[in-house]
Amino acid sequence: VNGDPVHVIELMVNDERVGRRVEARQLAVHFLRDELGLRGTHIGCDTGSCGACTVLVDGQPTKSCMMLAPQLDGCEVETIERVAGPDGELDPLQRAFTAEHAVQCGYCTPGMVMSARALLAEKRTPSDHEIRRAIKGNICRCTGYVNIVRAIRAAAEDA
Amino acid sequence: MLLERIDYARPDTLDGALAALASAPNARPLAGGQSLVNALKLRAASVALLVDIGRLEELRGIHMASDGSISIGAATTYHELESSTELRAAQPAVAEVASHLVDRQVRSRGTIGGNCCYADPTNNFPPLLVALGARFTVVGPDGERSVAADDFFLGQFSTAVGRGELLQSIEVPALGAGTGVGYASLRLGEDSWALARAAAMVRGRERIEAARVVVACAGPRPARQREVERRLAGTPASGALEGALDAVGEELDPVSDVHASAAYRLEMARVMVRRAVQQAIAERRAA
Repeated sequence: VNGDPVHVIELMVNDERVGRRVEARQLAVHFLRDELGLRGTHIGCDTGSCGACTVLVDGQPTKSCMMLAPQLDGCEVETIERVAGPDGELDPLQRAFTAEHAVQCGYCTPGMVMSARALLAEKRTPSDHEIRRAIKGNICRCTGYVNIVRAIRAAAEDA
Repeated sequence: MLLERIDYARPDTLDGALAALASAPNARPLAGGQSLVNALKLRAASVALLVDIGRLEELRGIHMASDGSISIGAATTYHELESSTELRAAQPAVAEVASHLVDRQVRSRGTIGGNCCYADPTNNFPPLLVALGARFTVVGPDGERSVAADDFFLGQFSTAVGRGELLQSIEVPALGAGTGVGYASLRLGEDSWALARAAAMVRGRERIEAARVVVACAGPRPARQREVERRLAGTPASGALEGALDAVGEELDPVSDVHASAAYRLEMARVMVRRAVQQAIAERRAA
């Protein structure tokens, strides 16, 4: 309509094949939220500072506001919606966030969970320092970091 | 919409990428995008066509040659660098610097080539690669050329890579016996950007035979401290460094801002040089 260059992309999102026409300038986070309706991925800052939009791209934690939608072509994307089971049963990491009260306002939580998920996929028993470094790119403006670190440690010990 | 209207292409080959860059007057390469995408959002950069080079095989990977030198593809990500046991053994400082860049998400996508070509004076790799005596392979419509690190960084946001060219790879010579590397930053917070930074490479046993000393964050480009290097040569490795370190200051022009005064930055540059040289001496390799 507005004459923007359009690209056809095909990707896997939460284990489902997705094909869409996207504008080149669309950010990946807007594609996930507005085109696919996956609004669990949050937008906090739009500048790559807060990590609320963290998703996994080919297994790598990625700020989806720092990627363009056409860059997702051919990728495997996992968002917070994929973390719980199909019946809604929470994943051990999500249960630990609940049990440790690692949520205050909850806005940063999806990004925190995705960063923690990437960490635990790489390291089964991370140290507290490694946990803190893994969520360095995720800002909790309620400053609830202590409980978040505790939750990630509990999930690691549980696994 | 945050970005201005823009077009995007992802050619399959290096030749295709060079052709795409030549196809539009305002075409620019896109690698990890961890700086460029923000520049586009802020409309600080105006680009008609982004040529995505992030997946080009010719620009990826870490390759060790038989002489122990390492070639690093420009589109190799920080996470790939920090995860490479081969790189950590051959060039520990390169892997270590990569592992402390920004945050895990940025390390997933940010590339060593992007870090160098963006050439923000606070970027981490430029001073280290100058200290290591790296060479940069630049490709363009007229073929390939090799540029020494000393000639690669020209100024703030400015390198030897011309319009229509691409950085293909970075060649880091082997660290020989008796050679050590040091790298020191005064950061605002863990893995954050720095107010002062220095990198050093030192060779020698009882006496320092040769040194390369570089200061960053204190001027438009990595600043070789050649007088410091001259004075270090011949100094006992276990001796006092003060006579040499007094000469820190060449090509330094730090700014004053909300974080620190220029005078403070200059003083901290001296401290970082001392720490980097001391670390380089301490980490010299056995035969």
